[in-house]
Amino acid sequence: MKTRTKVLVGLGVYLAIAIMMLLIFGNAGKNESFKPQNEFKLETWLSIHLGSLDLSINKAVLYLLLASVLTIFTMVWISRRMAQKPNRVQTAIEVAYDLTRNNITGGNLDPATAARWFPFLAALFFWIWFSNMIGFLPLPTNTEHTVSVFGLQIPAFAIYAATANISIPLVLTLVVWFSYHVEGIRAKGFIPYFASWLPPGLEEMSPFGKAAIFAIEVISHFVRLISLSVRLFANILAGHLLLLFMGGGLAVLLGIAALGALTFPLAFAFFIFEVGLVATLQAFIFSTLTAIYIGGATSASH
Amino acid sequence: MDLSPIAAVTDEGVKSAGKAIALGVGAGLGSIGAGIGVGFIFGKEIESVARQPEMKSELESIRWLGFALTEAVAFYTFIFGLIAFFLS
Repeated sequence: MKTRTKVLVGLGVYLAIAIMMLLIFGNAGKNESFKPQNEFKLETWLSIHLGSLDLSINKAVLYLLLASVLTIFTMVWISRRMAQKPNRVQTAIEVAYDLTRNNITGGNLDPATAARWFPFLAALFFWIWFSNMIGFLPLPTNTEHTVSVFGLQIPAFAIYAATANISIPLVLTLVVWFSYHVEGIRAKGFIPYFASWLPPGLEEMSPFGKAAIFAIEVISHFVRLISLSVRLFANILAGHLLLLFMGGGLAVLLGIAALGALTFPLAFAFFIFEVGLVATLQAFIFSTLTAIYIGGATSASH
Repeated sequence: MDLSPIAAVTDEGVKSAGKAIALGVGAGLGSIGAGIGVGFIFGKEIESVARQPEMKSELESIRWLGFALTEAVAFYTFIFGLIAFFLS
C-alpha cells in the first residue's frame, strides 16, 4: 500500500468514527453542571490561619514541595554517586548542567558575575523544570471528585502544576527582580546604577528629554515583573487547559460526543508538545532572561 | 446625550455573550500576531543558516529564546480573555 493511500484511509476512519458518534449519540445539549475552571480551584486540605494570613495546605503546596524535594534529591543523589564512566541518568544531568553553566550563565554574564550567580540560575532552571514536568503526571490530587476503590475513597487523578498558579511565578519573578537591582547597585553604586539605565548617546540631550527617557526605562523595568511571571504562568496554564479541553472537556461541556472523537487524538499531540518542548523551554527562558537582566544591570556598557 | 440604552444593558444573556466575545476575539486576534511573529523568527533563522551554515549551533539558542518570547504574547491575550470570561 502506498503512503498516500494509508494516510487517506487513516483520515477516513478518523472522520467515520466522528460521524458514527454523531449519529449514535447525537447532541446531548449544553452541560451546565461541569465547571472546567474547578480543575484549578485550590481546595483547603489542612486549614492554617495566622491572623488574617491564610497558610492552608492545598494542592499547590503539595506540588511546590514535590518539585523542591525532587530537585534537591536528584542533584544530591547524582553528585554523591558521580562515576568516571557515567550511566544514563548522570549523562542526562550532565547535559542539563552544561546547559545551565555554559549556555545560560556563561553566555550572558562575565566570568566573575557568572561564578557568583551560577547556583541561583541553575536552581531556578532545575526547580522550574521539575515543577513543569511533574505538572504533566496525573497524580491523585482532585479531592472534589473521589473514586471508590474497595470502599476506600481516593481522590481522582488530575494534573496540576505549581507554576500554573500565578503566585509562584510571581514570587520567583520578585526574587529575580530585586536581586538584579541589588546586584546592579552593588556593582556600580547607587546613583551610577540608575544613571546607567539611560541608553548611551544621549549626552547632548536636554535634561527634560533625559527625564522622559528615564521614565520610559522605569516603566520597562516594572513591565518585566508582569512579562516574566505571566509568561511562565500563562504557558503552563494554557497547556493544561488545552489538554483538559482536547482530552474530553470540550465534548462534555457542549454535549457532543462526535467532537470528543475528533479532539481526543489532538490531546496526545499537545501532550507531546507540552512535555517535549514547552516545559523545558519555559524553564530555559526564565533562567536565561534572569541572566540577561543581571548581565544588563552589572555590565559597564549599558 | 442620552446614555440610557447603554445603562440598560444589564441582561444576563448580553453579559455572557460579551464575555464569550472577549475570550474569543481576544485569544483569536492575539494568536494572529504571535503566529506571524513565530513564523518570522523561524523563517529568518532558516535564511540565516542557509547563508552561513557554520553559525547553526549559535543560532539555535537564540531561535528558541525568540520563539518563546513571541509565543508568550498569544498567551497574554488568552489569559486576559480567561479573566474576562471566568472572573468578571
